[in-house]
Formats: sequence, C-alpha cells, structure tokens
Amino acid sequence: MRITNNMLIDNMLSNLNRNLNRVSKYQNQLSTGKKISLPSDDPIVASRALKLRTDVAEIKQFRRNVNDAMSWMEITEATLAQIGEIMQRVRELTVDASNGTKTPDDLDKIKAEVEQLKIQMTHLANATYSGRYIFSGFKTDKPLMDEEGNFLIDISDRERIFYEVGIGDDIDINVLGCDLFHRGANEAEAGTTKSHMIDTFDRLIAALESGDVTAVGDMLSEIDVEMENILRVRSAIGARMNRLELTANRLDDDNINFTKLMSKNEDVDIAEAIMNLMNEMNVYNASLAVGSQVIQPTLVDFLI
Amino acid sequence: MSSSTFFGLDIATRGLYSAQRGLTTVNHNVDNVNTPGYSRQVLEQRAARPLLMANGTGMLGTGSEVIGVKRVRDEYLDVKYRSEIQYLGEWEVKQALLEELQVLYNEPSGSGFNTVLNEFYDTLQQLSVDPSSPANRAALREKAIMLTKYFNSVAAHFDYLQNDINEIIYAKVEEINSLADQIAKLNQAIYRYEVSGNVANDLRDQRGYLVDKLAKLINVEAYEVSYGKLPDGRDDMRFVITISGKPLVDHDNVSYLAVTQRKDKLNEEDIPNLYEVHWADGNKLIVKSGELKGYLDVRDGNDGLNGSPDFRGIPYYQRKMNEFVRTFALTFNEGLIHDSQGNLLKVYGHVDGYKLNAADGDSPAGIRFFTMIDENGNPMRSSDFAGLGSDYEEMYRHITAKNFSISMEIYEDATNNICISDRPGEVGNIEILRSLIDMRHNPYMFNEGSPEDYIKTVISCLGVDGQLSMHYLNNQTAITKQINNRRESISGVSINEEMGNLVRYQHAYKAAAKMIQTYAEILDVLVNRLGV
Repeated sequence: MRITNNMLIDNMLSNLNRNLNRVSKYQNQLSTGKKISLPSDDPIVASRALKLRTDVAEIKQFRRNVNDAMSWMEITEATLAQIGEIMQRVRELTVDASNGTKTPDDLDKIKAEVEQLKIQMTHLANATYSGRYIFSGFKTDKPLMDEEGNFLIDISDRERIFYEVGIGDDIDINVLGCDLFHRGANEAEAGTTKSHMIDTFDRLIAALESGDVTAVGDMLSEIDVEMENILRVRSAIGARMNRLELTANRLDDDNINFTKLMSKNEDVDIAEAIMNLMNEMNVYNASLAVGSQVIQPTLVDFLI
Repeated sequence: MSSSTFFGLDIATRGLYSAQRGLTTVNHNVDNVNTPGYSRQVLEQRAARPLLMANGTGMLGTGSEVIGVKRVRDEYLDVKYRSEIQYLGEWEVKQALLEELQVLYNEPSGSGFNTVLNEFYDTLQQLSVDPSSPANRAALREKAIMLTKYFNSVAAHFDYLQNDINEIIYAKVEEINSLADQIAKLNQAIYRYEVSGNVANDLRDQRGYLVDKLAKLINVEAYEVSYGKLPDGRDDMRFVITISGKPLVDHDNVSYLAVTQRKDKLNEEDIPNLYEVHWADGNKLIVKSGELKGYLDVRDGNDGLNGSPDFRGIPYYQRKMNEFVRTFALTFNEGLIHDSQGNLLKVYGHVDGYKLNAADGDSPAGIRFFTMIDENGNPMRSSDFAGLGSDYEEMYRHITAKNFSISMEIYEDATNNICISDRPGEVGNIEILRSLIDMRHNPYMFNEGSPEDYIKTVISCLGVDGQLSMHYLNNQTAITKQINNRRESISGVSINEEMGNLVRYQHAYKAAAKMIQTYAEILDVLVNRLGV
C-alpha cells in the first residue's frame, strides 16, 4: 500500500486521540471515584445504581422510624411501669386496710393516700411524648381524661398509630387509653364513659370512707383484674419492642449490605483504575515519542 | 538520407520542455500537500511521433512529448466515502445530543430525580412519625416544591435544547443551499474548461471536496450523466446531485431547500413554531441520513408516535415525564390506582383527607396536593383545577412536566392544608398518609411499575440509546477512516515520491541541457571550425 505523509499524520493523530480518550476515562474515574459518569457508559450499572440508592435511602429512613418508635414505646413502657407500681401500692394498702385491725383513723390515712394515688394515676393517663398524649389514640393533641377519670375524648380501637419500619411492614406503637384504663374496652366516649380503673379507685375510697372492711376486702378482686389488664398491656408493648429491636438489627445489617452493594456496583476499584491509568499514560507517551520520530523526516531532509 | 542539421536540437528542446513540465507538476503537488480534497497529479508523457526513415533504416525517435496532466483518483472510493460519511454525520450529532440529554437528567448523582424523590418520601415518613408537627408539614411542602421544580427545570432545559436544535437545523439548511450554489458554479466552470477537451483537475477536486461536505449533512448521490454528444463526438457530461431521488443540483441549476414554521405541532410536547424542512418548490423532503437527519430525529423523535421519526428524541422524553407527573399527581391526589388487571381502584388519596384544624362534622377538605402553574405563573387552586375538565383524564391532561406544581392551598398553608387524616379532629391520624406512602411501592402505578421503576426505565432507555449511538459512531468513524485512508493512499501527495520525481526531472532536465550543449559543440565544429 502506498503510504503518504498525510496518512501518517492523520492516523497518528486519531490514534493519539483514542489513547488520550482512554487516559481521560481513567482520570475521570479516579477523580470522581465512580465507574460511570453517564448512564450510557454502562446502562446496567446506572440502573442498578438508581435502585440501590433508593434502597439505601429507604433503609435509612426506616431506621429513623424505628428510633422514633422506640422512643415513643420506651416512654409508654416507663409510664406503664409507674402505673403498675401505683396499682401494686393500692393493692398493698387494700390488703392492709382489710385485715380488720385498723382504726377508723388509720383507714382515713389510707384513704388519703389512695386519693393521691388516684390523682397520680389520672396524670399518668395524660402522659406525653414530646408534647403528644401517648394514650389518646389519634387525638394526640388532647388529654385522655380528667382527674375524676371521665374520658375527655372519643377513643376507639381503630386509632392505632402505625409506623412503617420496612416495605409493607407496619408496627403499631401506641397503647390506647380505653384498652389500658377501661379494662380492655374497644372504645370509650367523651363525657359519658368513666374509666373502670378510676372507678375502682372511687369505689375503694368509698369503702374506706364507710369503714366497711368487708367491702374493702371485696375490692381486692377488682384491683387484681386491673393489675392483670396492666400486665397484659405491658407484655404486649414488651413484645412489640422486642420485634422493633429485631427490626433495628436487621435494618442495620441491610444498611451495611446495601451500601456495600452500592459501592461495589458504582465505585471504582482505585488500585485497578490507577494501574489502568498508568498503563494508558505509558501507551500515550510512547505514541507521542514515536509520532515525533515518524513524522519528521522525509526525503527532503536528505537532499543535499 | 539523414536528418536535418538541427534535428537533434529539437529533440533536446522537447526533453527540456517535458522535464520542465514534470518539475511544475512536482511543484504543484508539493504545494498542495495539505490542501483538503486535493488529489495528486501526474504527468502523462510519451515518446513523440517518430519519423519514418525512407531508406528502410526504421523509425527515427523524435524525443518526448507531454500529452496531459492527470489526477490520480478512484471515483469508486468517492461514492463509497459519501455513502458512509452521511451516517457518520448522523451519529455524531445523535451521540452528542443524547449525551446532553443524559447530563440534563443528571443521573446517577446526588442531585438527580432519584435523590429528589427519595427526599420527598423521607419527609412523608417523617411526617408519619410526628403528624401534627408544623415543622414536618413545612418540610414536606418544601420537598414537594423541590420535586416539582426538578421536573420543571428538566423539562425547561429540554425545551431550550429543542429550540437550539431548531436553530441549528435552520443553519444546516442554509449550509446545504450554499454548498449546492458553490457546486453549481463549479459545474459551470468545469464544463467551460472541459468542453474544449481539457480536464479541469483542480476544479474537480474542489467540487469533490464540496460534495463530501454536503454528503455529511444530508444523504446525497452525485454522478455525471450524459446529455448527448458534443460536436467533436465526446459525451456531453453534466454533474447532478440528488437527495432521495430529487435533484438538488442539476448542472448549473439549483433546487433550494427551505424552512417554514409549522402551524400545527408534530408532537404535542413540542415548543411552538418549529421549522419544517422541505423543498423550496413545496415538495416534501425525504431526509434519510446525514447531520440534518440527526438533528431532525432528536428534535422530533417521539418513538414513531403520530408520524414522528422512529427515534427516542426530546419529545419522547418530554412525553415520558409528562406521563409520570400526570399519573403521579392523579394517584397522589385522588387515590386512583391500577390493580393487576388494569382497572382503576380507589384508595385513600389526598382529596379524602381532613385538614389538621378540621372540627367534628366537617367534610373532607378535597384538597389536591399537586396541581399546575396557571397562566399567571401561580400554583392553581384545587377547585380551579377541577374546573379544567369533566373527568380525571381531561383534568390531568393539562399537567405537564413544565407546569407541574403543588396546589395553591398547600403553598399557602401547609400546616392545615396537608390532609393526612381520614377523620376530622384527629391530629395523630395518618391513615391517608399511610396510603400515600404505600403508593411508592405499588407496582401497578405505571406500566413500568412503581414511580422509581418508571424513571429508572426512562433513564436506562436513554442510557442504552446513548451507548448504542456511541457504538454506531465508533463503527462509522472506523469505516469512514478506512475509506479515507484508501483514498489518501491513492490520491494523497507523498513528499518522498515527489522528491524522487524532483530528482528524476531535474536529472532529465540536466541531461537534455547537456544534449543541447553537445549539439552546440557539434554545430560549432561544423560551422566555425571546418574553415570552409
């Protein structure tokens, strides 16, 4: 084949350009840390990258939801513990008062303590978490009951608050006031319903006031029913917290795994990229050197 | 019988002339070594007509004569080059523009659609955790604005790009006309020179070069046709260039291309008044390849919909984004969603929600979260939006990626007007919100799946098209380069060769000069020394 000077120059330029393109590709990879900068560089990697980014973002959000759910439930748990203690104290006082050895004066003192405990109990029923009433169902802006145990809001079983902690994985985080303070009832109405638990307190106080020791003793079984109810709610919350912890662990693992996958998919292997870059640089330098040798001389240089 | 006394001098003079002409040709070639389109010229030389010796001693050589200067060129390669460079032009344009589209989507990155949608859903989740918080509600509004602005901005940039391409198309048509003009003028000049039997080497090179440039712009065929016979018996050849069969240049006559602004849009996503390219005489122009085809396809390509080019260009991606925002808004606002059979199902949507400050006895607020920008540039109210059509399809058809927006209600009072409760007066009720969050993973929201799947599909599609255009471009570059190399190999000037010829003709010249000197000496003896 006949080779002309312009062919040599054109070919060398286009080869130089190709080499430089590859140098630029690896330089770009190293400076961005990513295998691709446009979807067309590798559509599969790009599409996986989009999917994984969504997954990681979601996992992080679910993890935040789990944290919030945990805080809410920890507050609920602590409040339930106090409610349990109050009920325990009421039971002790009732047992003490019903043994028939108490003077009316003693019974009066016990009555005074039970009255205080009742007020304490209604305050706990209106416990809040960052300004939201935890037992008020959906009406988190309204207190559950007044100090006489009358429900201030309509509340029903449907008002369970769900947090999403996974795709299609909801967990209800709240304890409903009617369930806890109204012996597992499914609903309560504002104004008309009076809390069973507080009513138990009232009847105990009435019995203590009348000095009828038998009547006081009869209240024990009522108190036990309340205590059982509290225990039931507590164990349910405990079980849910347990589930949350498992979810949290799983999400932490997922986060690590998916982040790793994401990195594997789109991040550049630095060592490999540097090797490739060095290699391409060598090729580029060599082609430059050869070019300067090849293009220069023609027969002109040797004619006289 | 012998030849005349001065015959030897005549032969030597011819030799001088031939060598001189050779040197001129070398000179011309060397000067044009870098002239684009130039093909090297060689001297055609032969032995001059010999004299027949009457005494039977054979023929007497009379030296050399130049019969012409020929350009070395393979016409077949020209045809081949032109049939390939048109695709190079087309794919160069498409590859560059598809890359630009990808940059506009800005994926994968930390600021593309994916991030925007992720953040939007994150704020929905955060709101579900503390639904009565005004801060969370304000955050949701801001993220929703970010989501809508993302689409507005990408769609606007697509519009700008479409407009830019439109201007380029205008310029390219002008360029084609101007090239056609120049070629017609060259045709005249070449014809004038050649009618007398010469070959207009350099003008033919210039014309060839212009046709090469034209071939990159649009599919052309160039050939010479015989118009009959000249008086001296040769064919009367004239040069013709056709585009899809219709002549653009017919010897010295040019049929121009022209543009007019379209009265009716080709695609509903187009910006108004795009140029339609046609023949100036009103005939339809069929563009099969070339840069012009590349620009037209990217500007008009809507995947073959409604007679648009069968290419995924700007209108296609605009349509995809419009489809996305329409369906997304419809689902989010009205809670209408497809089931696996494709029927529309009603779930809770934003319109079913109650305001945060709703009291018992109130009815659902009926507020649409997403509407569109009205003609005054403000977000539209839900009720005004509902007035745009009698059914959902008619209403939502008005939303485009360009005007997608949150509604005026959400804009004015995010705290109360974000309606996520399915009963009045329950600030912790997030039943509507849960339905809205669930939509993110509804695989039937689009044919392509969930919202993220949809966009992923669009971007993958663009990525694959971009990759394909890159492959085509690389192939076409290689093919064109290979043909051009062959052309260069045949027609290119080689300095070495020219220097060789230089030496050759120089020596021939010297030798002829020497012959003259020798004859001068002989004649000197004859004339001066014989002492007659």
